[in-house]
Amino acid sequence: MAQQAFGAMSAVQIQEGLKAKDFSAAEVARGALDGIAAADGQVHSFLQVTEDLALEAAARVDDALAAGTFDELGPLAGVPVGFKDNMNLVGTRTTCSSRMLAGYESPYTATCVQRCLDAGALPMGKLNMDEFAFGSSTETSAFGPTRNPWDLGRVPGGSSGGSAAAVAAGLVPVTLGSDTGGSIRQPASFCGVVGVKPTYGMVSRYGVVAFGSSLDQVGPFSRTVADAALAMNAIAGRDPLDCTSQPNGLDFTASLEAGVEGMRIGIVPEFMDAPGLTPEVRERIQEAAAKLEAEGAQLVDVSLPNAKAAMSAYYVLGPCEAFSNLARFDSVRYGYCDPGHKDLNAQYDASRAAGFGEEARRRIMLGSYLLSAGVYEKYYYPAQQVRTLITQDYTRAFEQVDCILTPVAPRTAFEFGEIGDPTEMYLSDMFTISINIAGNGGMSVPVGLGSDTGLPIGAQVIAPAFQDDRMTRVAAALERIYGQASVAPGFADGKAGE
Amino acid sequence: MRKLEEVLNDWEAVIGLEVHAELTTLETKMFCGCKLEFGAEPNTHTCPVCLGLPGALPVPNKAAIEGIVLAGLATNCDIEKHTTFYRKNYMYPDMAKNFQTTQGPVAFCMRGHLDLDVDGPAARERHGLDALEPGQAEGNITRTEDGYTAHVGITRIHMEEDAGKMVHVGGGEGRIAGATHSLVDYNRAGTPLIELVTEPDLRTPEEARLFMQKLRAIYLALGISDCSMEEGSLRCDGNVSLRRRGSAGLGVKTELKNMNSFKNLHDGLAYEICRQAEVLEEGGQIYQETRHWDPSAKRTIVMRVKETADDYRLFPEPDLAPYDLSDEFIEAVRAKLPELPDQKAKRFEAEFGLSAYDARHLTEHGSTARFFEGCMAEAAGDAAALAKPVANLVINDVTAYLNAHEGFALDGSPLTPERMVELVRLAEADSISSKQAKEVLLAVIEEGKAPKAIVEERGMEQVSDAGAIEAVVDEVLAANPDKVEQYKGGKTGLMGFFVGQCMKAMAGQGNPKVINELLAAKLDA
Amino acid sequence: MTQHLTESDVRGIAEYTRIGLSPGEVGRMTADLNSIIDSLAPITEYDLEGVEPTFHPIGGLSNVMRDDEPVPGFTQEEALSNAPKQEDGCFLIPSILGEGGDR
Repeated sequence: MAQQAFGAMSAVQIQEGLKAKDFSAAEVARGALDGIAAADGQVHSFLQVTEDLALEAAARVDDALAAGTFDELGPLAGVPVGFKDNMNLVGTRTTCSSRMLAGYESPYTATCVQRCLDAGALPMGKLNMDEFAFGSSTETSAFGPTRNPWDLGRVPGGSSGGSAAAVAAGLVPVTLGSDTGGSIRQPASFCGVVGVKPTYGMVSRYGVVAFGSSLDQVGPFSRTVADAALAMNAIAGRDPLDCTSQPNGLDFTASLEAGVEGMRIGIVPEFMDAPGLTPEVRERIQEAAAKLEAEGAQLVDVSLPNAKAAMSAYYVLGPCEAFSNLARFDSVRYGYCDPGHKDLNAQYDASRAAGFGEEARRRIMLGSYLLSAGVYEKYYYPAQQVRTLITQDYTRAFEQVDCILTPVAPRTAFEFGEIGDPTEMYLSDMFTISINIAGNGGMSVPVGLGSDTGLPIGAQVIAPAFQDDRMTRVAAALERIYGQASVAPGFADGKAGE
Repeated sequence: MRKLEEVLNDWEAVIGLEVHAELTTLETKMFCGCKLEFGAEPNTHTCPVCLGLPGALPVPNKAAIEGIVLAGLATNCDIEKHTTFYRKNYMYPDMAKNFQTTQGPVAFCMRGHLDLDVDGPAARERHGLDALEPGQAEGNITRTEDGYTAHVGITRIHMEEDAGKMVHVGGGEGRIAGATHSLVDYNRAGTPLIELVTEPDLRTPEEARLFMQKLRAIYLALGISDCSMEEGSLRCDGNVSLRRRGSAGLGVKTELKNMNSFKNLHDGLAYEICRQAEVLEEGGQIYQETRHWDPSAKRTIVMRVKETADDYRLFPEPDLAPYDLSDEFIEAVRAKLPELPDQKAKRFEAEFGLSAYDARHLTEHGSTARFFEGCMAEAAGDAAALAKPVANLVINDVTAYLNAHEGFALDGSPLTPERMVELVRLAEADSISSKQAKEVLLAVIEEGKAPKAIVEERGMEQVSDAGAIEAVVDEVLAANPDKVEQYKGGKTGLMGFFVGQCMKAMAGQGNPKVINELLAAKLDA
Repeated sequence: MTQHLTESDVRGIAEYTRIGLSPGEVGRMTADLNSIIDSLAPITEYDLEGVEPTFHPIGGLSNVMRDDEPVPGFTQEEALSNAPKQEDGCFLIPSILGEGGDR
């Protein structure tokens, strides 16, 4: 049988082929490994490829196929999946793209990863990211940036840039990323793939290296909405190891065909008129809204008056939590240890200075300042009050509408080095951040290419807390309008596997 | 340096305690399922959570929350229904995450108190007690017949986690100073820890000691901790400052650590009070600092000067859901409250006619109280009559034995309530003297035999026959005419000498009561 | 730009967070932090009178606890598997100068 570009197939297609015995899971794994070997040199999405783990998992799937128990395996049976490198998996290094953890071997496995494995997934490897997820471009990775498969001179977005790029390049059908302020949705938009940031508490954070504990959430990337739904079915649900995870009875695949007729979809005028929103993005989002209306949805203007405070609230809460979460990297139990020091403080200072990159150091120090006595009351506490207001905004909006449609990012993917000022970089998260603050779900779905740049643009579908299947339902409707996301042009037609 | 009692004439000591207790009776740690075990091989009770591995998340132990609520109810605290955990951020290698998960401004238990009965020699440290009449109150104390009661406020009890253990290598005696390197074991890291903070209501080292003793008795009765001060499962720090008698302001305080026994707690505080007084009297200044009590050198040493208040960047722990304790939860915990030492003491007073002093000492330890109750059950109809003599033996001799023999436990020992009652009946019937009773008690414990068997074996039957004793008395008086003369001349202290001579002549078996009576009759005639 | 932090403040923060900054880095870090803190101004200008904070974006979730039942953890070897330095089953650190917080 001819070599197939398994990474460029959807999860659903792979599972159909496995059931039809068109190919084996071992062939899927091998094909995806070959695809990564052939094409990832250009993209640099993988930091590690886990060949042995993938082939072992494939053998189990093939055993199940032979025994006729394939259907019992779970929603990701036989599907190659990659994991952002902040997710622990025994048998891999978990580096967070940081020198600090360059040699760190996971002694345990994250719940979201374990759930993928339990659902029959083939673990292909670990994916590049901004160091400790601090960034929106994957440029801060200590191991070199990931390139956008649509234009190798541009960033894939971030922080889950590797997870988005691997899917866009057709290396794997599904990856997991994490999203603290837009780190799934923005790279999904930049790379023209589907990316889901579930409601805080939908997916366990256990084993995912923390950035902002009250903001972080794990979710999937894929090229089809149906694949995202399969991945959500695999990873969502309460985990006794994560106190903030909650049960939900959602079947994400159930409502994909339901359509949007009769749905009330909110449009946020203050987002559509925001300074910094490029005309081509505005145009695509307006068009997407109009097409949904044509499908029978009702468009309703809703206001999120406090969303403008989200940015500063986020840049208070994120660094504060990160400062505390990153204190554990101290060269004692694991992580980079600068050699030759006779005094612990000297070892601490040198190890943390050399182990952390510039953005990490900046956020740690910022967080430490913002939490200090007398300053806490000025920034941290008001930021948590603003969280209340933003949450109330969404609650009120969702009294009027079933979900909300907004841009994901104000623009398409930018060029490497184009944005140097950290505060300017922060603006790329202006439409995604308020959702992390409030905690509800947001999803990026491709709605065509920009008329100026010719680069992918994503629309953000926002749902009320724990009603995340509404996002996949609307996204599926958009997918029927725009067609399934394609592999990036340079990697299409199985090129990745050849 | 001047003596404590002199110092306390001029200065008022203001003492507050911070008491940490590990909830050692639980199976697992505070935020993970690792087993609690003292003395295991290093780092064998660890997991991603208590090693602070990247990505690990805490999940609170329900039994620990029940434990702290129990402690709060037993110390008259208000139980706060709505509380949350906080992160206290500072880098120190025994703390895996480099923040301690603890509580913020609102702890599970707030605004409690304990009332201390201070009497006997312990009351002497309290200044100005003689000016009060029994029943009269001043400040937080009320005068009693033989001392006073002190009302000691408890600010809060909060839930937190213990740190790992470090061994410092290369310095002297495992000290941190001079060590070349240190070894860290995280087995203890994450042990559930409750910290009780008192109001600065204590005024003497004795009050501090009694507070700790009382608190320990309560925690033991609750069964939430083994409260071993030696092994560090119960730890106490003291904050001490002085002010001139009559002044209301607060002086600069020092924090005292390493008071790992009741004696060290008392002696450390006493030293620190005297030290501060000396410094102040010489015109010096007290610095806010942490000091370490060195029991062998009998002094406190500076560990760390606090130039500025510590800034721990406290903020609510985002990884833990807040608490919203229901009435049902609190009432279910309340239903588990055992009879507390104070309640037991009151019951002993009422049921067995004991003095408050006896009742309090009998109930200080659960095992002693249980033993005493066992004796009373054994005594059945004679319980009222035997209560006092049993109590005396238990409080004095049994307790002394317990104190002197670490590892000896009353439960399951050869000293059963049955044997104890048999022994007391022998003594009450004057079959043996009280001195002999003490000897028999020891023999029962060490030889594991019944009192009667020991008395027989050792031929200890007490001679109470007046005729036999009179003959001995006459002999002794005849042999010491000079002493008889002196006695009659007013030197009545010689009575002891005559009794001793009679006892000696009777090989210790004469009934001292009869001897006394006969001697008195003859000498005072 | 407002001077929220001086270089001396930044050195203090570096010491507390135990991130060694070279003298040359202090200046740039100070400028970066001041610029970021400036951008946080909106949070200080909001009218938040009477607004309760939301520390946990988890709705009414509360009292999440586990039963007091042991779960197998690491062996000593696993616990130490990433240790930069170890000795006698323990993590090894150089000598400690200074004291930790209160416990």
